[in-house]
Formats: sequence, C-alpha cells, structure tokens
Amino acid sequence: MANFLFYAFAFFTVATAAGVVASKNAVNAAMCLLLSLVGVAGLFVALNAYLLAFLLLLVYAGAIVALFLFIVMLLDMKETESRGFGKLSLAAIILAAGLLVTGLSTLVTRGHLDTGNPALTPALGTDIKFYAYQLFTTYLLPVQVMGFLLLIAMLGVIVLSKRWEGSDDVT
Amino acid sequence: MTLEAVKLAAEANQWVAIFPELLLACLALALLALEIVLPKKLHAYIPDVALAGLVGALGGQLVNFQSATLGKESFNGLLLHSPGGQVMRVFFLLTAMLVCILARVSLAKQKVPRIEFYHLVLIITGAMMLLAQSNHFVMFFVALETVTIGFYILVSYFRTKTASLEAGLKYLVMGALSSGLLLFGIVLLYGVAGNPTLPGHSASALHYPALGQFLVANPHNFLAGVGIVLVLVGVAFKIGAFPFQIWVPDVYQGAPTPVTAFLAVGSKAAGFAVLLVLTRDVFASYDWLVTPALTAMAAATILFGNIAALTQHNVKRLIGLSGVSHAGFLLLGVVALSGPVASVSATGAIYFYLFAYLIASFAVFGVMAHIGGADDSDQTLDHYNGLAKENPFLATILAIGLGSLAGIPPLAGFMGKFFVFIAAFEGGARWTLALAVVGVVISIYYYFGWIKAAFFEQWITPADTADPRPVRTPVDVVSGIALGCLALASIFIGFYQGPLGQWLTLK
Repeated sequence: MANFLFYAFAFFTVATAAGVVASKNAVNAAMCLLLSLVGVAGLFVALNAYLLAFLLLLVYAGAIVALFLFIVMLLDMKETESRGFGKLSLAAIILAAGLLVTGLSTLVTRGHLDTGNPALTPALGTDIKFYAYQLFTTYLLPVQVMGFLLLIAMLGVIVLSKRWEGSDDVT
Repeated sequence: MTLEAVKLAAEANQWVAIFPELLLACLALALLALEIVLPKKLHAYIPDVALAGLVGALGGQLVNFQSATLGKESFNGLLLHSPGGQVMRVFFLLTAMLVCILARVSLAKQKVPRIEFYHLVLIITGAMMLLAQSNHFVMFFVALETVTIGFYILVSYFRTKTASLEAGLKYLVMGALSSGLLLFGIVLLYGVAGNPTLPGHSASALHYPALGQFLVANPHNFLAGVGIVLVLVGVAFKIGAFPFQIWVPDVYQGAPTPVTAFLAVGSKAAGFAVLLVLTRDVFASYDWLVTPALTAMAAATILFGNIAALTQHNVKRLIGLSGVSHAGFLLLGVVALSGPVASVSATGAIYFYLFAYLIASFAVFGVMAHIGGADDSDQTLDHYNGLAKENPFLATILAIGLGSLAGIPPLAGFMGKFFVFIAAFEGGARWTLALAVVGVVISIYYYFGWIKAAFFEQWITPADTADPRPVRTPVDVVSGIALGCLALASIFIGFYQGPLGQWLTLK
C-alpha cells in the first residue's frame, strides 16, 4: 500500500512538473506547479512528516504560487512562441543533463545512499507540539527579530511605493 | 519535551543580556509612535530623539563594557557575549550615530520621508549587534537577513532618482543570491553534522561549539568542506571581497550618501565580526581549506580594489572601490589568525583597523554629504576643485580623512595598517603582505588625487554646459562638532592608542 502511494504521488509530481515546463500558457504552468507541490506534500505525508506537508501546502502552494499568479495577471502575459535555444542555454542544458545522468548512475551503481539505519534516526517533523515549544522557548529571540524584519519590510513597501508628491508628510 | 524542560529553556532567555539591542528596538518603535502622536511642526525634532537615544545607548554600553554576562552564553546558546562582541556593539552604535548625523545633512536636500529612515537605521544597528554576538546559525541568519532587507530599502531610499533605484535592484539581486549561497552552505553543514553515522555528530548542529566539535572530529569531510566554502562565499559577498565585489561600485554610487557610509563601514564590519568568529572558533580545524582560500581572496581583493579605484572619477565609486581594498587589508588580518602559526595580535589588529576605518571613512563621507547636491550620485572629483579656498574646514577634514584611509603616518589609518601587517608577518603570510604593501603605494595615488583637487585646483565653470557651481552646504553645529571630533580622533589615535591598544590582546 505504502509503495503504491509512493509511486502514485511520485508519478503525479513528475507529470505535473513536466506540465510546468511544457505549458505555453503561464497561468497553466503556475497551476501545474501548484499540483506538483501537492504531490510533494503527499510524499511528505507518506513519510509521516505531517507538519512539513502542511507547511508546503500553506506556504508554497497557498502563498507563493498565488503570488506567481498575481504577477502573471499583473503583467498580462500572452502565450509566447518558443524561441529555440541559444548557445548559453544549450550549454546549460547539457551540463544539467550530465549532472542528472551522473547522479542517477551513481545511485544505480552504488545501490544505496550513504545513510544510517532509518529506525535509529529520531523522527523529526512529525510533532507540531515540538515545533511550537521550540519556537517559543529556545528560538524565541529569532522569532522576535523576525517580527522586526516583517515590520521593516512592510515599512519599506510603504516608503518605496507610496506617492509622496503633494503629500505634506514630506518636506 | 516536558513542562520542566520548557521552563528551563524559557528561563535561559535572559533579556537583560541584550539590553542595548532592546533599547534600540524600543527607540525605533518610539520614533514611529512619535510621528503619529506629535503635531506636524514638531516632527523636525524626531531625528534628534533618535540621535539622543543612540548617544545614550553608546554611553551606557561604554559604562557597562564589563557586563555581568560577559563570556557567557544566553538564549539557549543562540548568543555568546564575548569581549569582541562588546567591542562590535560599541562600533555599531558609533556607526549608527554618525549615519544619523550624515542623514540630517543629506535628507534635507531631498523630498523623502524622514522618520522611517532613522527607524530603519536603528533596527539594522540592533540586528548587526545581534549578528556580531550570534553563536548559532539560526540567530546568525535571521539577524543577517534583517540587516540585508533593511539595506535593500535604504539603498533605494531616494526612489525618485534612477541611480538609487538601480542600486537598490542590483543590491536586491546580489543580496538574494549571496543569502541563497550562504543558506545552502549552512544547510549542508547542518545535514552533515547531523548524520548519526559520523563521529561527533550532534542533534543541534547549528550551534557553533557543537559544529566546531563535529568539524574537529571529521577534519576532511568533503560535504562539510563544500558547506564551509559556501558560507565563506556568502560572507565574502557582504564584505565585498574579490571576486564577489561586482555589486560594490554601482550600489555605492546609487545609494544615498549616509547609506553608502553605513554599507561601507557597518555592513563590512558586521561581515568581519562574523568571519572572525567563524574562522577562529568554528572552522578552525579546516584551516587547510580556509587559510588558502582567504589568502588568495585577500591578495586579489587588495590588488583589484586599488587598481580599479585608480581610474575612477566619480567619488562614490572611488570610495567604494577603495573600500574593497580595505576589505582586502582586513582579510589579511583574518588570514594571519587562521594560518598555521596563529598571530596573537591579529584579532585586536582587526578591531583596531575597523575603528580607524570608521573614523576616517565617516570624515570623508561627512564632507561628501555636504558637497552633494540634489542628485546624490554624480559627485566627481571636479566638484572638489577649490574647496580649500571656499570652505577650509571641510577641506581640512577631507584631507585628514583621506590621509588616514591612505595610511599616512601618524594618522590612525597608518597604525591600523601597521598592526595588521605585524599580525600578517607573525602569521607567516609574507607574500600577501608584500602585495599589500604594493597596494598601499597604489592607493596613495588616488587618495592624493582627491586631496589635490580640493587644495590645488580651481573650479572653472565649463563653457559648453550650464553646470552650476558645486553645492557647499553650510556646516551646522552638530555635524561640525562630529566632523571635527572625527578628524581629531584620527590624529589622536595615531599617537596614543589607549584602551584601543589594549584590545590588541583581546581573545
């Protein structure tokens, strides 16, 4: 059953990822990306990493892909003709393909990744309570600093985008 | 996690230990609150509140230099309060104070929002102070991102000017790239050091001492080496070391002058504070990798910075590229520390160099803030022609600041270079030292070209253009006192190092 789920989600993830690359319409590509992320979240659930799965759905699928869609709509992108490959992108493709082949062949010849016994590895990312305790005790200071980071980010958006011309806040 | 453990962890959050940072954060929030509460006509005094608060924080920090938490960890090991951290706190408070003084002069020439600028400066300063004391990669990264994001905003602060926006965009792209590389390195180190099959592995591998122990136990791990190199690359971006200096000239030119000063002094010093802790304590067992990498980087940085600055006519690009060469001299100090024969005086020499650089740089940037007109980015050497006749005060400050940057005895900059060179000699970096001396000689040429423009050239209005005479903003009391003190300090510290000299023996 677990194997079947793994293959189903893995196939789904790869197929939709191919859809991101193949799709000419930017909105469709973003939607495919969203589905691909859902597939990855499914893989995480199969690994008992529920928190990671939900964070992936909330942050990436929910917020970041939505942001992509906003930008796509803001720029009003049309379907574009594919322009073929330049010399540089061709070189990049060959390099990436070479790395992929090397990686896969290493996996095939060595047969296993150099990791310890999974049963001995403590299961992290399963317990949301653990994260919450850590955030509000051990990592309380970085959380507070993050608050200030978000504050200045918000302030920056206002300072850099508000129309100051004619406003009497500016002298 | 039991309730007992939670209680213990919560008790380790000793907020008293970061009192200066808390003070800055509260002050920053208070500025925003004051803007809402106070009537419009009193808004002009809010920057003075920021300045007064910074002076207070600096005084408090100096009085409480030997604080009770010195040498201890706080916040569950996220921070380590070392003497070096105390020195850097003083450094950043001083930097922020001077940036605020420059901002009073520079912002007055622009139609931009005021209070938010000081707010950002205070938040960035607090984050830099935390960064210099961080003892854990989570704290390190969060503080670094706060600093970087603050700088994205500050660099593009004059957003009606194309140069400022361009600089902001370039800094955003390069900053994001460097943060990405840095994060990749941190994650690699975390992954390797958390591998249960390796000796010395740790569950909290982001904690510097734990990571250091792991690296001692595995002195030739390939993945850890890659992680270390990526972390060093990320830091090298921040300090503008060759070959990661490509953003420096454009960003320094486009950014508002006070922000350029903040970047050149504050951001660079933060990078070196971090680099010192990392190379000396955490990556010490990888000196076979770190020392050659940093040596090559130091040599290339010194040569590139000085040679590239030779041809610059725009003063902000010139000071940016000369700043690159100063990063090279400081790297030389770091090399002396991480080499096979660690120099005892290298840490102190780096701190001393940073202070000498701070004092000299702000003198020069202070003069630049007074000379710059409505467009902040187009100051060339020609604008300084005849400065000595029209405003002898500014010209003298400029000459002392540039002389100190060039390392002319008996100014502070000379002593800084002298101490770093001694440390490099002790550390056995002879060839890099020889290159550095060549670099100093080259730098004298362009620094003196600038002084020559101010003292020996005449301003002639170009016949073909309606180029107005360069701006010379009158010096008001606060900036006059600040600039005078900076120039005097450059001379005074050159003769007598006092407590600064005692830092030479700091560990």
